[in-house]
Amino acid sequence: MKNFLVVVSILFSLGCIKLYGQHKQIMYDFKEVPQSNLLNPGIENMYKWYTGFPVLSGLSLGVGSSGIAAGDIFADDGIDITEKIRNQVINGMKAKDEFSFTNQIEVFNIGFRGKNNSKNYYSFGAYNEFDFITYWPKDLAILGFEGNAGNIGRRFSLKHVKARAELLNVYHFGINKKLNHKLTVGARGKVYSSIIDVNSSHNKGYFITNPGQNNILENTLVADMQVRTSGIKEIEDSLDDSIENNTQSVLINRGLLGGNLGLGLDLGFTYHIDEQTVITASVLDLGFIYHNNAVQNYTLKGSATVEGIEVILPDALINPNEDFWQDLVDDIEELIPFDDNNKSYITFRPTKLYGSYRYNFEKRKPKGDGGDCNCNYMKPHSLRINDVYLNAIGGQVYVINRPRGPQVSLTGFYQRKLGNFLTAKATYTVNKFSFSNVGLGISMKAGYLNMYLMADNLLAYQNLANSQYASFQFGLNILPWNNKR
Amino acid sequence: MISSIVKNKVCILLFSLFLGLFSCSDKLDFDQADDFKVTPSLASSIIFIEVPEFFFNAPFSSTSYANDFAFEAFNEDLFSRRVLSGIITYEIENTTSKPLTITFEFIDETGMVPLDKEEFVIAPGATFKRESVYGPGGKSLDIIVNTANIRLTAENRGDDTSVNLPDSKIVLKSKAEFKVELKK
Repeated sequence: MKNFLVVVSILFSLGCIKLYGQHKQIMYDFKEVPQSNLLNPGIENMYKWYTGFPVLSGLSLGVGSSGIAAGDIFADDGIDITEKIRNQVINGMKAKDEFSFTNQIEVFNIGFRGKNNSKNYYSFGAYNEFDFITYWPKDLAILGFEGNAGNIGRRFSLKHVKARAELLNVYHFGINKKLNHKLTVGARGKVYSSIIDVNSSHNKGYFITNPGQNNILENTLVADMQVRTSGIKEIEDSLDDSIENNTQSVLINRGLLGGNLGLGLDLGFTYHIDEQTVITASVLDLGFIYHNNAVQNYTLKGSATVEGIEVILPDALINPNEDFWQDLVDDIEELIPFDDNNKSYITFRPTKLYGSYRYNFEKRKPKGDGGDCNCNYMKPHSLRINDVYLNAIGGQVYVINRPRGPQVSLTGFYQRKLGNFLTAKATYTVNKFSFSNVGLGISMKAGYLNMYLMADNLLAYQNLANSQYASFQFGLNILPWNNKR
Repeated sequence: MISSIVKNKVCILLFSLFLGLFSCSDKLDFDQADDFKVTPSLASSIIFIEVPEFFFNAPFSSTSYANDFAFEAFNEDLFSRRVLSGIITYEIENTTSKPLTITFEFIDETGMVPLDKEEFVIAPGATFKRESVYGPGGKSLDIIVNTANIRLTAENRGDDTSVNLPDSKIVLKSKAEFKVELKK
């Protein structure tokens, strides 16, 4: 319980979940779990049909940051916290470091094999997703922490401000087709129903303090900044409204295609190079959302250099009642206006790319030969070809498109079937944030029930306080008892 | 089927035990957050005034120049409630042929009460720099946070004729550097 509280504390203290929340390397190509279909619409589906338990079929969550762990700040080490934040956060983190949070909750998810053509597999469902990412605004953090007095001549970039948050429902329908014994392809169409969107990612400009031309100092701000929002305004209005539960109904309505809509596409395939070697790839969320409803954007654009109030006689006597202070304030507001507008805008979904290479080995022993397999070895590349091998080893690649460009992760994995009821997969993942990410997932089938549990970054459980992230996925599904195809 | 369910439960249990029991954590103290302080030092110029020498010779100006300037930066809530300490720096350059007395007064919003006064006596051709400290070890911060106007007076201590170059003038530069507490 204590450790659970620590995990929750880390989660909320950091307020962030890392890109690993999006990266489901254990789930990918884990065919025993029906939800793996969502990561590759071209996967070889194992089951005649499946249906997830509403809300419980797929829950994924992770926590962390790329630059810091909770223990770096909150360790009970007697060091002044302000000093720790100065060293570890303000001076320690880089502009490329990020905080992000992603979670997905499946509302429903159903799949079934075509009645007339068993080579076709159909799936549909809906899930709710919250996605948040912000890069560390290093320069502004230093400016806020130290101020400009000790930083004369230092240019503080506004470019470091890059953040995005969106809450949306995704409705999807996918078709999967086994073209031949070697190749299976699939595609999934998506309709995005955006509930809330906030983004600010194309900012430019700087703030600098220099010795002044007339006065002692001059402060210069050159800004081209924008924050775009949709949905917030409608929710704010609903909060002001006296009608009870109005906010709730606004959220539900926006999630049920009443907000801003978008379209997306997933594509994928599975290809058998030979009986034991398989490659797969998928691209997810090739899509966009058009925001034209409840849009409220804010801009700060312009440039100004200020040296305080300037009074140069005798010119200043032309208007003896001149209010120099108000003139200065007015000039700044005119030179760098803070405006708002309701212009529509488009956001692109964070597109993800997966690929894998798998080598299967060690055939199961058939029944009657000391084993428990009903496999038909006489039909190589049959639908059950993957079931006949107990072990698999391979590698995966994952790329996600982020505001600062693509991020890549590489994963090695080992998968093992234990009897007919359990499959386990262990992964080792490296990327620019970590070289020690070991994950483990298990999928169990008992009668009509399938249950899976996956956890990431297990080595960090040795000391959760120093973990920069943790994630898990959990779900329950109903599967056919007799899996004849 | 029953045995499978039992096996599943055992596996889930073992996996959960691995995550729950074998996980450890250094002791964390989240109460430290209350001690976190953000106290940046902000710097900006305040006022720049340039008065040419001939201005002191003009009949309408007599021997003095005096004016009040609204200056509300110090009594803005964002600043006045958070300021901890600070320094105001004055730099004066007198290229006129006259000795001058420059008075820099901080006035409250009623415009009546001088909260504080800085007086500079500048010889002809001289430059002068002064730093006034506010807060611990210096003048009261109340002077700063209650200032809504600055009154500037330049008094000619010499005659009303110019002997220097036509662009001779008195120039006053000033800047403020204050430490503020953004997070207590």
